Amino acid sequence: MDLQTWLPLLLGLAWLLPLASFAIVSIGGSLPQIQGHHASYRSQKIAGVVASAACGASFLLSLLAMAIWLTNHPLGAEHPGGHPGTAHAPPHYSGDFYSLASFGDLHLAIGYYIDTLTVTMFCMVTLIATCVHVYSWGYMHEELADVVDNEVATRDGKALHRPGRYHRFFQYLSLFTFSMLGVVIAGNLAMVFVFWELVGICSYFLIGFYIERPSATNAANKAFIVNRVGDFGMLIGLMTLWSSLGTLHFDQIFPQLAEPASAGGLSYPLLVVAGIGLFCGCIGKSAQFPLHTWLPDAMEGPTPVSALVHSATMVAAGVYLVGRCYPIFVPEVLLVIAVVGAITLAMAATIAITAVDIKRVLAYSTISQLGYMMLSLGLGGWVAGLFHLITHAFFKSLLFLCSGSVIHAVHTNDLREMGGLRKKMPWTAYTMLVGCLAIIGAGVPAWGIGFSGFFSKDAILEQAWSFAGANPAPVYGLLLWVPVAGAMLTALYMFRLWYLTFAGEPRNADRYAHAHESPLSMIAPLVLLATLAVSIGWVWPFSELSVTSLLEQARPAGTQETVQGEWLSSLTIPDEHLSHAPEIQVPAGWTTFSAAMGGLLLATMTYLWKWLRAEEIRQSFRPIHSFLWNQWWFDELYDWTLVKPTLWLSRFFASIDHWLIDPLVHGITHVSRLVARLLDSLLDRRAIDGSLHTLADQTWNTGLSLRQLQSGSLRQYVLFLVAGTLGLFAVASLYWKFAVAG
Amino acid sequence: MNFLLANLLSEPVGVAHYMVVGAVLFTCGIVCMATKRNALGVLMGVELVLNGANINLIAMGSPYLQGENATLGLDGQLMALFVIVLAAAEAAVLLAITLNFYNSAGSVDIDQADQLRG
Amino acid sequence: MTFQSLVDNLVNDTLQVSLPLYWPEMVLCATIVLLLLARLIKGFSRVDPFLYAIVGTIAALALSAPTDGFATLDQLQRTELFTGMLVYDGVTVYLRLVLLLFAVLMVVLTKLTGLADRIEGQDFYVLLLGATLGMCIMASANHLMTIFLGVEMASVPSYVLVGILRGRRRASEAALKYAIFGAGAAGVMLYGISLLAGLLGTAHLPTLGLQLAQLDLPGMIAEGQELGTLAALVLAGLMVGVGLAFKLSAVPFHFWCPDAFEGGTAEVAGFLSVASKAAALALLVRVTLAVCAPQASPLPQTAMLSEDPTATVVTTPERSSEIPLDTPLAPVRTYVALFIGIVAAVTCTFGNLAAFGQTNIKRMLAYSTIAHAGYMMMPIAAVALLAGSSPEGAEQAVASLLIYLGVYLFMNLAAFAIIAFLRNAIGSEEIEDYGGLISSAPVVTACMVVVMASLLGIPPLAGFLGKFAAFAVLAQAGTPLTLTLLVIAGLNTVVSLVYYWRVVQTMCLRPEPATRGPLTLGLTPVVYVVLVTLPLFLLFLFPAPLTNLARDAATQLFP
Repeated sequence: MDLQTWLPLLLGLAWLLPLASFAIVSIGGSLPQIQGHHASYRSQKIAGVVASAACGASFLLSLLAMAIWLTNHPLGAEHPGGHPGTAHAPPHYSGDFYSLASFGDLHLAIGYYIDTLTVTMFCMVTLIATCVHVYSWGYMHEELADVVDNEVATRDGKALHRPGRYHRFFQYLSLFTFSMLGVVIAGNLAMVFVFWELVGICSYFLIGFYIERPSATNAANKAFIVNRVGDFGMLIGLMTLWSSLGTLHFDQIFPQLAEPASAGGLSYPLLVVAGIGLFCGCIGKSAQFPLHTWLPDAMEGPTPVSALVHSATMVAAGVYLVGRCYPIFVPEVLLVIAVVGAITLAMAATIAITAVDIKRVLAYSTISQLGYMMLSLGLGGWVAGLFHLITHAFFKSLLFLCSGSVIHAVHTNDLREMGGLRKKMPWTAYTMLVGCLAIIGAGVPAWGIGFSGFFSKDAILEQAWSFAGANPAPVYGLLLWVPVAGAMLTALYMFRLWYLTFAGEPRNADRYAHAHESPLSMIAPLVLLATLAVSIGWVWPFSELSVTSLLEQARPAGTQETVQGEWLSSLTIPDEHLSHAPEIQVPAGWTTFSAAMGGLLLATMTYLWKWLRAEEIRQSFRPIHSFLWNQWWFDELYDWTLVKPTLWLSRFFASIDHWLIDPLVHGITHVSRLVARLLDSLLDRRAIDGSLHTLADQTWNTGLSLRQLQSGSLRQYVLFLVAGTLGLFAVASLYWKFAVAG
Repeated sequence: MNFLLANLLSEPVGVAHYMVVGAVLFTCGIVCMATKRNALGVLMGVELVLNGANINLIAMGSPYLQGENATLGLDGQLMALFVIVLAAAEAAVLLAITLNFYNSAGSVDIDQADQLRG
Repeated sequence: MTFQSLVDNLVNDTLQVSLPLYWPEMVLCATIVLLLLARLIKGFSRVDPFLYAIVGTIAALALSAPTDGFATLDQLQRTELFTGMLVYDGVTVYLRLVLLLFAVLMVVLTKLTGLADRIEGQDFYVLLLGATLGMCIMASANHLMTIFLGVEMASVPSYVLVGILRGRRRASEAALKYAIFGAGAAGVMLYGISLLAGLLGTAHLPTLGLQLAQLDLPGMIAEGQELGTLAALVLAGLMVGVGLAFKLSAVPFHFWCPDAFEGGTAEVAGFLSVASKAAALALLVRVTLAVCAPQASPLPQTAMLSEDPTATVVTTPERSSEIPLDTPLAPVRTYVALFIGIVAAVTCTFGNLAAFGQTNIKRMLAYSTIAHAGYMMMPIAAVALLAGSSPEGAEQAVASLLIYLGVYLFMNLAAFAIIAFLRNAIGSEEIEDYGGLISSAPVVTACMVVVMASLLGIPPLAGFLGKFAAFAVLAQAGTPLTLTLLVIAGLNTVVSLVYYWRVVQTMCLRPEPATRGPLTLGLTPVVYVVLVTLPLFLLFLFPAPLTNLARDAATQLFP
């Protein structure tokens, strides 16, 4: 079994199947519109099935690819073993599907770079996508009939009536799946960039799915624009890399980076620039500080979108890219990444405590967890960060889908209107409980068992502990204690969420009365995801198979030893294996455990047992609460510093255009027209036409006058005969006279 | 011209004299053709022209007049004979045409032949 | 040279050399005689004269093919027939083909239009064939006598043909004018011939040229001697030129042309415009070649009166190359080229301008014929110029003229055929009465459009081919005279658009005149017109047969 051909084939097919379903659904949905009516609801329903089938098929193909991979690359066999400290590239297959163009050294191609990380990501993305597709059958059910949208402001004040567009949702979901898989499989940074943008566009479509709602369209715009800000930095990074390395292909960059900087590799400052540039893109895509403001607003989209795009996949793309491009990042850049991650996780966690919209809480939770991943990667915990990415994908999507189920039942997002719902919606409640436990990292450190989040969070904190140990300066210690505090806050807000929704007394009797459990199409994915949220961190019995070992196999060259920074010579990024030492593992584990338990306790006290009163706390810390309630005033800050000046500038230029340039252009037009008219009448009509007419008239008159030569008189003819002869003779003799004389 | 004529008058009769006669006939014929109103007069002019040329030809071809310059051989006289016949044939045809014109126009006045003009 | 040997030579020459190469004309003669005598014999007189005519002309056409075939036409040696009276070479072959093909087509046309039935058919055909015979003689003339004979033989029947419709005032007037003018011009030409023969001592064209060369004209001009002889030569040449110009309807000897065409029937006008022009141009070529580039040929074996058998008359030198022909004939060439060039320029300009205001289509086409004669004379001017310096160029010029003639045949025949058929159908020859024919007679109108375009010289029609060949030769010659002629010809082509297109415009765009009745054209006339118009396309698409034939015919004209 030749992996070189089969892996690209399988994964390529898995990648393209959602594109095919996008094409089918979009064409099938547009054809009726060309004929003047909208697609029938029956066909729209089929669209959903088609899209889900494609996604499911992709998942099966990914599993098959994983199986083939594992057969040929058994886990543990290629483990670098100890700390050999040599640059050892992980097993990978790379190549080009299709070469687009070659401009000198720059080869633009659609290509692939497949290693264990790729295969793992494929399986994760397609599985979650399939779950979300199936979930959407139930959630988007109302789009299968004419929709009455109360949130849209219409001219006459009544609610908007519009036909349902069920199929469009699946169309965008398919396109998104295709784009995300494109980012994962990409073999070169140019392709990554293309699909990066494509993912952003799909996110735009999906967030703004309810296009008639101004809030939705604004949120979509915000998401896209903020992403673009990050992409600006990413382009700088790409260009730096290309101009110095001459290629954007991963399989050519990594070997070059293994060389020392002096011998053909990149100079250190350029590496720093490239690294920070690339990371800028990740800041935008993964909603890190300071480009995080779009993610909470992105909750305007339907909940499946939030589950798939804004928790598990798209926002993870930034983290994935950092992981993929890890060899490019030098320790200074990694430090920057870690600091950004730390700030993000702290900030988001604080805001989540005060949010009252169920999805907003989860959104800030996502931002916070992404901060954890970035922090981990920045501190050298490559496997830890990506492990957390995978576990987070499962439990966050689970959490979102559960919240969607709740929203579907009570028709509101507001936590203040919920309460006591576990009696009405047991499945939702308890799967959500599983998710909450997973996210806080519930588990028993001594026995080493727990939910999936337990393992991944522990790994992160172990690495942080190791890092703090390797870098004694106090400022580096912050990078350890902030995540610990964050763990406590995580537990606090997650269980606040759960208690407010499912425990206690219902705060709105009406909504409570109407609440009902969701249909099977929505419950089934919840259960599946809950199972995975629990188990994905475990090792498959009687084998080495686990997410950790998979990622270990994909460990890039350059993460297998402790590295020192060059500019900050005191900076040490410890090797990740060092963090598995018991003297780090044990304290880290217990610290995490106690932090999580502390937060859980606090939440229970406040919201379940009501020992502490939330309103009182809010009153006493009013300024802090207000600060957090308004999300650290980021939106207002950006509005004042960026949006308003831009608008002012654009108005200024518009006025220049209107008052200066337009009149100038109009003036030129008038003058040109005047000149043209003048030239026309003077030159064209009088001179040219006139001369032509004169010429024509003269010729005509000459012709007519020549007719008179033919007088009709025979005597005159004969006379002409004689005269002609004599005349010609005269001419000839004159000619000869001159010839002779000369 | 006068000088030439004066010379001719003092020399024995040679080719030049005949040529002068031929020229005179030719000129008379041309004038006749150009000025006569009567079609038959014009035809006479035609005859005169042809005969003037004939005299020329004969004189040119005469071995007696030319002496050692008589390279024209018999061509001159033969040509004259041919021309006489041709003139006769042409005259016959021209007369027939004049008759035709007389039948349709009612006169032989060639000034009446002016319908075709321009 | 005894009489016996003279007779023997003569019989030899006639039977072995001349007659075998003279069959087409013999057949024409036989046909004429048959047509004339058929009236006398009962059985023959009931046969339609058309049949005699068509059989005779087709036979003559078939016999005019070169004896060794067309492939070897370019190697055809120049043969003098009838003791130097006529010449048989490529040009003779080509012109015979043109003239006899035209005669065939004309006989068919007159049968279709019914002209030959209204008058006595045989009279008409006799005159037609007689004129054709005269033109064939013109085309192969090698002796001053034959020139005159040919011109007369071609002209006199034409005088009668023009006036053949009895009872028409206009026809008789046209015939009268044509005849008298023609007779006058012929008389002038004869006088010029007599002067020329006398001055140079010979009437045989090649010998004439050689004698001219021996006169040492450049010397005479340089030293200013013998002005009388020079003046006489100039006058003689001019007068011969007058006769040729009359036949060519060159200005200022064109006055007969519009009247003859308008007065005569369309068929006769067509005959005059094509056949007599072709023969006249061939004759002009012959004369030009004789005086500008004479070739060595045996002295005509006419009887000498000298009793001394050893006394030799001026014999031609063994090879003409012994006398340097180039320089001595340069003044002649210049004179001839200038004369022809100026006349050509004036002719085509006059013809085009005077055609503007014409309302009668035959008169318009008469002026068009005059203009085309002007165009066709221009390559001959080039021949005169190039004869000494570049024989290949002169050959090409002659070839281009032959091509133009070939194309011209079909163009004018088609035009006059259409006019004849339309005259039968609508009874008018005024251009205004042709309005709206596009709907009544679409095929014929289309053919007329094609013909007008071809006359104008628009590609992709054969008229362009002819004009292009002629203009190319002028451009290649490159002298100031030829370039001026080229410019004038070009301007004239542009100017001629006015009147050619007026016909098209009237036929296609103008409404039908109220006075015209319904139109019926039979199938055969339309088929004939189409068949005659088709070569205008085919000759453009496949010019090779015509151009190759013309080129082969023009080879061997220069040593």
